[in-house]
Amino acid sequence: MHEIFVLAEHRQGELRDVNFELLTLAGRLGGKVTSVLLGSGVDDFAGKLAGFADKVLVVDDPMFAEFNAAAYQAALKALVEQEKPHLVMIPNTGQGVDVLASLAIEMNAPFTTDIIGLAIEGDKPVATRAYYGGKINGRIEFKDAELYMMGVREGAIPAGEGGKSGEIVKVDNPVSEVAGRKFVEYVQPEIGEVDITQSAMLVSVGRGLREDKNLPMIEELAALIGADVSGSRAVVDAGWLPTDRQVGISGKTVKPKLYLALGISGAFQHVTGMKGADLVVAINKDPDAPIFQYAAYGIVDDLLKVVPALIDKIKEMKG
Amino acid sequence: MNVVVCVKQVPDTSDPDTEVHIDSSGKGVDQSKFSFVINDADNFAVEEAILLKEKHGGEVTVVNVGSEAANQVIRMALAKGGDSAIRLDDEKFAGSDPVALARILQAAIKDVSCDIVMTGCLASDDGYGAVGVALAQLMGVPHAAYVKTVEDLGDNKLKIGRELEGGLLEMVEIDTPCVLTIQTGGNEPRYASFKGIREASKKEIKVMDLAAAGLSEDQVGEAGSVAVMVQYSVPEVGDLAEILEGDPGETAGKLAGILKEKGLV
Amino acid sequence: MSIEEGTFVQKYDLLGCIQCGRCTGGCPVTVRTDLNVRRFVYDTVDDDRLEEISEKPEIWDCTTCNTCAIRCPKGLEPFEVLMGLRAMRAEEGNIEPTAISALESMFNNGNPWGKAAAKRTDWMEGVEGARILEEGEKADILMHVCCTSAYDPKLMPLVKTLVKVLNAAGADFGFIGEEEKHCGSEARRLGEEGLMEYFDEENTELFGRYDVNRLVTVSPHCFNSFKNEYTNLSLPVMHYTQLIAELLEDGKLELPNEVVTKAVFHDPCYLGKKNLVFDEPRYVLGKIKGLELTEFFRNKERSLCCEGGGGKMWVESESKAPRLAETRVADAHDLGAQTIAVACPFCWLTIEDAIKAKGYEEEMVVKDIIELLGEAL
Repeated sequence: MHEIFVLAEHRQGELRDVNFELLTLAGRLGGKVTSVLLGSGVDDFAGKLAGFADKVLVVDDPMFAEFNAAAYQAALKALVEQEKPHLVMIPNTGQGVDVLASLAIEMNAPFTTDIIGLAIEGDKPVATRAYYGGKINGRIEFKDAELYMMGVREGAIPAGEGGKSGEIVKVDNPVSEVAGRKFVEYVQPEIGEVDITQSAMLVSVGRGLREDKNLPMIEELAALIGADVSGSRAVVDAGWLPTDRQVGISGKTVKPKLYLALGISGAFQHVTGMKGADLVVAINKDPDAPIFQYAAYGIVDDLLKVVPALIDKIKEMKG
Repeated sequence: MNVVVCVKQVPDTSDPDTEVHIDSSGKGVDQSKFSFVINDADNFAVEEAILLKEKHGGEVTVVNVGSEAANQVIRMALAKGGDSAIRLDDEKFAGSDPVALARILQAAIKDVSCDIVMTGCLASDDGYGAVGVALAQLMGVPHAAYVKTVEDLGDNKLKIGRELEGGLLEMVEIDTPCVLTIQTGGNEPRYASFKGIREASKKEIKVMDLAAAGLSEDQVGEAGSVAVMVQYSVPEVGDLAEILEGDPGETAGKLAGILKEKGLV
Repeated sequence: MSIEEGTFVQKYDLLGCIQCGRCTGGCPVTVRTDLNVRRFVYDTVDDDRLEEISEKPEIWDCTTCNTCAIRCPKGLEPFEVLMGLRAMRAEEGNIEPTAISALESMFNNGNPWGKAAAKRTDWMEGVEGARILEEGEKADILMHVCCTSAYDPKLMPLVKTLVKVLNAAGADFGFIGEEEKHCGSEARRLGEEGLMEYFDEENTELFGRYDVNRLVTVSPHCFNSFKNEYTNLSLPVMHYTQLIAELLEDGKLELPNEVVTKAVFHDPCYLGKKNLVFDEPRYVLGKIKGLELTEFFRNKERSLCCEGGGGKMWVESESKAPRLAETRVADAHDLGAQTIAVACPFCWLTIEDAIKAKGYEEEMVVKDIIELLGEAL
């Protein structure tokens, strides 16, 4: 593994956390870690990435002011042909997925996507992926080649401390023109009418809330972590939440990354609606509440006591 | 506007209690207790294709790589408004990775005139999310992944919205013909009634094997793959919730830490 | 979808209606929604308007409780018009997303709950004396467990108790096992006539594999479909309350224990109004020592639907008014009842929810007759 390219991801003036996760992983594999940064006016990004890489290869050009998969693919192809790394790592994100498979095929590089683990065995990569929604894992082996590509799942590998001071190298834009695809604009999701079926995080309340006077603290917690508020049929019936926030068999089916079930017993008709959640955390006074069978973590206590404490702790963490 | 939509039949794992057991070979799972359904994202792709047909006219061709059992899923797509179907069926196709699958699909549709090829953005069983993008590269056409909105601008151009993390939409102008991988939630898939599906059985499903697809053995299956899944294993995971202990201050602190560790806060 | 001339008029004998309004007058749902079934009977005579009428949201408010049919002086079934409109919507694929999931799950998994077919017999874990019949095996009774009772963790204990009770009576009974499927009742109520036909065919063939004398069901909905809607089923069909009544009458079941409670029986619509089975459940309850049985004012043919059936588990009404089950629970409270006795899984779930909504958990409880029998053993 002499050199590893790690494609940097950024948008709307933000260098995303996933970059440091991938650079940390690359740093463990042996070999030179090169962060590849395509952008326009991105000196400060290069500086931050240099803390986690041996080299930061920068193409600073108005062509890359906004993400364009076709431009990224063309640029990466040129840079890879020039530098000849052994491995290219790309975040398996909305941006990354749009580049990885097509680039890999164009360059005849064996690849796989959405890996949660990577090791080098005898100078060849071996990857781990999740299957059937994570119920089982699989070991991926690759055909022999000079170049491999990996899409790495966001949040799979914790970012390390960095501690490097990479050399920042600027190169000319190797891409003359981009055809077939043009960036138009970004559109924010509409706030106001919340579609909980698309929410990435949900703070969900049940009868354990006791009365709607307690709702503001729930809304504060949700706002603090960037989540939407949903609830069981009981709280909707009681008029504390509108119908479009109801999770369950006669309401909505949700698939968030985090489902925080507060004061929800876990009746079957409700649980069926949250079946798609990646991580369920439950807070309920009743230790026998069925919700705990569907949660990865639980707190057996009154949500009215835990939620204020949780709000304080998160505020503390955010600094 | 002619659309090709690729559909996959997958085990129904929507019930969180579904058990997945690795079989004796270590490379497969016990399928005997599964029921099979159309892949969720593909269902949205079918709906998107039908909506375009209703708006702009044209034909929708349904394509699937699978055995006869997959006819169920193909017929459902035909019942919703698909016009014709192609099913690729050959035992040599088994074990194909996304590259090999893309090659098989490309062979199937090379004589089908189409403006857009749609696939679901990823499959619920293996989750590679790569077939559509790979197919575009093989076909030499532009592509876009995680598409939620599609608008025809005329003049062989589409304006599409790609969904990024947090729900942000990246609006892109893309030339046709192109490949779009469709994200869930961009439309409301209609219901295919039982009678409708039975009626759709009258529409022809063209079945192609390796030879009919004009491919050779080394282009498909494991032989044609660049990455092979060689061994399943069971990840370490607890059954019931890990209960956090302590007074509200302590448990809240532990929970906050867990959320931070998982990158959720 | 093309509609032939006079379809609704012929199917539902609409011209027989004298517009007396007894149907709407008795419809329990009208207190909380805009549903006016008399109006639907009138309007659907005009075929050209069927498409437009089928878009009205009230057609999903009907619980198919049968009150309108029982009250109609001309012997018509007004609620069938609403089901016909639902069927039109289903044909076009234009139904509520929650209903779509239920219907697709019925076909894929054999139950509307999205649960794997392989888990249908999970309730049997740890149960003694529950026999799954082999093909061709002989037994007196083929017991059909309802999808809801088989999969909902709150109801699974009921089925276990039923096994205990039947064994105590020395009954010769067996179950179908993992191949047991939805009876088709709720499929039909959601408008999927095609799916109902599918279950009719599948289940009739399935039941035919065994050498049994009769088919007994846990749910009145299954009871009603097998008995009245299946086209080719020759097996006699009973609801479990009828079987228990028979076992008690024949002296085969003894209930030595006292169960001291003031109870009121909530007639399930599909047992009572639809099939006129009022006496057997009361006879059974009467045999439980210590149980004081009182009656709702709205009992028997006037029973107030709990809004569990007719697709209501999956399709919500737009109404903000209190659910009928809550009204029922309030009535029970006024009677001073400590136990609301039910004989249907849907009633059990909706009434339990209603007891919690009204905050009466400390004062009353819902129990299926099976549970009371278990306590009385």
